[in-house]
Amino acid sequence: MAATIIIVDDEPDLLDLLKLILTEKTDYQVLTTTNPSEALAWCREYPADVLISDLRMPQLEGIELLKLLKEQDATIPFIIMTAYGTIESAVEAMRQGAFDYITKPFRKEQIIMTIRKALARRQDLLAQQAGRTGA
Amino acid sequence: MGVLDWFRRKNRVAAEGGIAVFQKKYESFKRLLDANNDTLELMARLEAVAEGDFIFDMQFIRSRSQAILQKVGSIVAELNILGDNRYQALAALYESLREKITQEITAPVDSGSVPLVMPLSQVDRRHLQQVGGKNANLGELKNRLHIPTPEGFVVTNAGFRLLINANHLSDRIRTFLDGLNLDNLEALTAQSRDLQEAIRNAVIPAALQEEVVRHYQMLTETLGYAPPLALRSSGIYEDQEYSFAGLFLTRLHVPFADFFPAYLEVLASQFNRRALVYLCQKRLVHREQAMSVGCLAMVPAVASGVLFTADPMGQRQGVMLVDAAWGLGPAVVDGTVTPDRFVLTKEPPITLLEQEIQDKPVLLQGSKSQGGLATVTVAADQRRQPALTPEQLLTLGRYGLRLEEYFGEPLDIEFAVDPQGRLLIMQARPLLVEAPTPETGRPAAVGAQEQVLIDGGTVACFGVAAGPVHLIQKDEDLADFPEGAILVARHTSARYGMVLHKARGMVIDIGSATSHLAILAREFKVPALVDTGVATKVLQSGQMITVDATHMRVYAGEVRELVEQAQKRTPSPIVTTPVYAKLRRVMRWITPLNLVDPKLSDLTPENCKTLHDITRFAHQLGIKEMFDLAEKASQRDNIHSVRLKTSIPFNLHIIDLGGGIEASRRAKFVPPEAITSIPLRALWKGISHPEISWAGPIPIDMKGLYSVVSRSLTASSDHSDFWSRTFAIISRNYLNYSSRLGYHFATIDAYVSDSRNDNYITFRFKGGAADEVRRGRRVRFLGAVLEKLDFEVEVTGDLVVGRLWKYPRELLEEKLDMLGRLMGCARQRDMLMADDAIVDWYTEAFLAGNYRFAGGPQPTPTPPEQPPLS
Repeated sequence: MAATIIIVDDEPDLLDLLKLILTEKTDYQVLTTTNPSEALAWCREYPADVLISDLRMPQLEGIELLKLLKEQDATIPFIIMTAYGTIESAVEAMRQGAFDYITKPFRKEQIIMTIRKALARRQDLLAQQAGRTGA
Repeated sequence: MGVLDWFRRKNRVAAEGGIAVFQKKYESFKRLLDANNDTLELMARLEAVAEGDFIFDMQFIRSRSQAILQKVGSIVAELNILGDNRYQALAALYESLREKITQEITAPVDSGSVPLVMPLSQVDRRHLQQVGGKNANLGELKNRLHIPTPEGFVVTNAGFRLLINANHLSDRIRTFLDGLNLDNLEALTAQSRDLQEAIRNAVIPAALQEEVVRHYQMLTETLGYAPPLALRSSGIYEDQEYSFAGLFLTRLHVPFADFFPAYLEVLASQFNRRALVYLCQKRLVHREQAMSVGCLAMVPAVASGVLFTADPMGQRQGVMLVDAAWGLGPAVVDGTVTPDRFVLTKEPPITLLEQEIQDKPVLLQGSKSQGGLATVTVAADQRRQPALTPEQLLTLGRYGLRLEEYFGEPLDIEFAVDPQGRLLIMQARPLLVEAPTPETGRPAAVGAQEQVLIDGGTVACFGVAAGPVHLIQKDEDLADFPEGAILVARHTSARYGMVLHKARGMVIDIGSATSHLAILAREFKVPALVDTGVATKVLQSGQMITVDATHMRVYAGEVRELVEQAQKRTPSPIVTTPVYAKLRRVMRWITPLNLVDPKLSDLTPENCKTLHDITRFAHQLGIKEMFDLAEKASQRDNIHSVRLKTSIPFNLHIIDLGGGIEASRRAKFVPPEAITSIPLRALWKGISHPEISWAGPIPIDMKGLYSVVSRSLTASSDHSDFWSRTFAIISRNYLNYSSRLGYHFATIDAYVSDSRNDNYITFRFKGGAADEVRRGRRVRFLGAVLEKLDFEVEVTGDLVVGRLWKYPRELLEEKLDMLGRLMGCARQRDMLMADDAIVDWYTEAFLAGNYRFAGGPQPTPTPPEQPPLS
């Protein structure tokens, strides 16, 4: 089954562009929203595989969203998108458990590669979890 | 230690008089160079991002534009310090560009403080967010360019929002837009009808009503009579990145008594089917929708038409096209009358090149008895007369050129001639111009056996498409338009725009490349042929055809080779998204370079149209100012301006800040052995390497070779000769080297001493005479070599930057030697970089010491031709 990628950013244009690229280049199911709470709800409702989030959003900072997601489901890799000049915050997000970060503007291939790695990580985590449950 | 520290230490003597001025200006010059380098890098990155492989947002466009503006602002300020404020014209130009860019990148404002209605006499581009693109452009040309336009007022976006909120329609509109589904046109039509009905029935808030009445009274006082009005929509995104051509309603000849119903009708048209489909196709649905309405005193036009300041098909260069007919404008743009066509030269003096006068049996005019329009028969002796006089055509051409220069892009301009014969401009919007060059004859991919169904017509959008014909004879035929069909119809009705997202191609009997439908076809990249005369007669619904709009042919069946060839050239849909469209609009004021004459005869502030032009101008003039200053200072201040005496055709001028030239050998001309500057000496070793050739058929100034021995520095201050020089500002440890050979620039900034922590080299190389791809290959060649030489390398577009720091002196001397050789080898190589594989060959050859590139690269073998299908 195609992986489900959820993307949250306060700029609808960026969401639109990202969705266009991912659906053009991959068979992922891509859900986008400007509302971090909605993204979190989707992670509960859908079998979400990766959450990609902007770092700075007016409703909820990316790092706060990351913390909430980790409480909810620690197996969903979290990729943070940052603007040039906010690397320190991205590093802080990594400390808090983000899977990776990507600095805007970024190439199409860059985000696709990062998602692939995140999906592999997700598989590993799910396998570990299944192993623990089986034991 | 920086060179300025060194410079200060060297000149311990009290800083007074000439030396103090020199030092101040030198600091300014250094800042100019730094800002120049930063700007070029920022621009190169912007160009790379615009190519279509990146994901970014508006914040990126804003922050990068602002960063470039700030750097260029510094460049202009520093140049004025260097030139004692002699470059104020450049500062004024910078301000005007800053304003234009800021308008493009400014975020939408809260409409709370915006008036509901504004007189057109107070509107300009600064009010873009309040009055929409069309009204903002019209106000700009009325109030800033003082070009004749109708009088009137604008009901702003704030007026629209007040109306929508007062009638509780806001949530309804948002829900409606969020649920839009193009797959079900019938449902969409019904929903659209309901929403439009709700808007038409809305109650006008008292505040809005009062303001409109007040402004109409003011208009009546200005004109001395109570005019009927033309109500023109101005969507929030219209006439910016998007044309919305013919999608919104325009109501002409509206008596003021009918104003409010007409206003509501125009607002409702924002949600008509065609406009909604367009919003979806352009990915604008999620954005805020608002509409302002321009309310202009009706011009009882005796003639009207459209001026294109460039050929939208890109087939003819240096011309403007005019379509004109009798009476009011709609007859021209909706294709109901075949207009007269005039072709004007663009190069002043504007002249009429060609004209095709048509039979124009009817005209549109305001109805005398009631509101609205009436179609009237044209008097027999007028039907075949040109709709415009030669004088009117020339005036129109002059307006067109002026507006194109002002807005920085080709324009589509609607005009009218009033009963006194005066030309008025009704609107001006960006014109999408096709890039491909026209081809004629049967394309190589088509076999002789293919049956040609149509041969001829006019290209409305280049390209090739194959699919089944869907013949449109009435509006109902649009409802079941199949995905991937070829639209075939009698006229170029803008109504067909609503199925363009499904159409693969389009063939039309009658119509012009300037019609609204043709504009939409180009926006959606739908290959289209118009004016074929016979399409609806020879083509039948369901019939499979291939449209080769580029060659103006329609073939029976699917010509697979042609379709596949065309698909390879199709750009990614990403570049049509709103952020890319915005980036390209902003970039038109930033990156294009108009100062391209290698002899720099065009180097004047008047020729600077973009920030890139300003940067190049300031860089060149900054160097000139510095050298002029050094020449003046050299007599008294221990600063020496000299030229290098060498048999190499190299016009090298040097400013020695101290310690760079052997004291006992200082003269106007010095031999290379007299150089004591460590970095220049090392660089010169590479430049003068016996295997490196600096001669050859390049625009290097061969006169410079002779002038070295025959003319003195002060005697050769003539403008054109100055730019053929290579410059070096040196001290014992420092080098700032700047060379411009033909079309490319190379600069080196280096500090080389025994203290390795102070040491660095920065090398930059940009430009060239060849095309973008070949220039890109040359900088990749340079980048590959620099990497092998241990530089940290960044290649962006046709700019390569190599950096190296904290190396010991001996190693940096070696690197500078290699850079000297590399610059010699890179000359003109862009011309020869025919394919990507050659880049590797040149890199290896250079690293192997084959500086003359003996043996030459082997061209990449072309794949053998496929045998014909049997």
